[in-house]
Amino acid sequence: MDLRTRAGLSTVDATLGALADPTRRGVVDLLRKRPRRAGEIAEHLGLTRPAMSRHLRVLRTSGLIEPASDDADARAKIYRLRPEPFGELRSWLEDVERFWTLELGAFKAHAERTRKK
Amino acid sequence: MIAGDRVRVETFVRVPLADAFEVFTLEIDQWWRRGPAYRVGGKRPGTLHLESRLGGRIFEEYDEGRLHEIGTITIWDPPAHFAFTWRGINFAPTEVTTVEVWFAASGEGTRVTLEHRGFAALPDGHPARHGKPVDAFVRDMGMWWGGLLTSLRERSEDR
Repeated sequence: MDLRTRAGLSTVDATLGALADPTRRGVVDLLRKRPRRAGEIAEHLGLTRPAMSRHLRVLRTSGLIEPASDDADARAKIYRLRPEPFGELRSWLEDVERFWTLELGAFKAHAERTRKK
Repeated sequence: MIAGDRVRVETFVRVPLADAFEVFTLEIDQWWRRGPAYRVGGKRPGTLHLESRLGGRIFEEYDEGRLHEIGTITIWDPPAHFAFTWRGINFAPTEVTTVEVWFAASGEGTRVTLEHRGFAALPDGHPARHGKPVDAFVRDMGMWWGGLLTSLRERSEDR
């Protein structure tokens, strides 16, 4: 019954929790294309500065994004996506899939052994 | 198949629909795998019980009457369909997911489809839901996740 194998549900929960908000999903969508400055993200999504900071803080705390320096302008801070949490979520779901595939296999074997037409 | 926060698995069994449903539910202890990964009892595997009615419990009994309750039955529509809540042994009290199972007559047997979902589900009244019903919320999340995970996989394979 233990489906918290590789990634652990708490990590996955943090990822899903951060992404439960549509604005933060909007931020992630923008960053999927390329890293951007906070101001640029705020402008795209029509957010105020304080709202932007709040959402970026949640995304940073949950490890979904990270700050980096802009190659074009060393003083400017840009944000980019960290692929790790998405990979963890994926591998956790793969564990769940493997678990149920094996259970259904056991069910099929037992049903066909005892009830076959 | 993994789509967003849900996992769907299918199998085909060469037994009639009513038998497939009965074996799945009433004989769950006989086919559910044994061992520490699948049963709480571990080396001394417990017995799985499924109370076949709406609101019935699914639980494992191990070590002289100790129980681990996996969840309760939320849909009971034999022999076609049933669903139950699922809590792993180490889930926090708020971490509840749903397992739904469908049975359909098909050719010489029965197609069984199982879906485990709700990993992204939020408590009722969470502001992120924007008043959407649970199903619509989870479906939207699922589609969004599907696209995101696909694109991230493609990206990581390009590296």
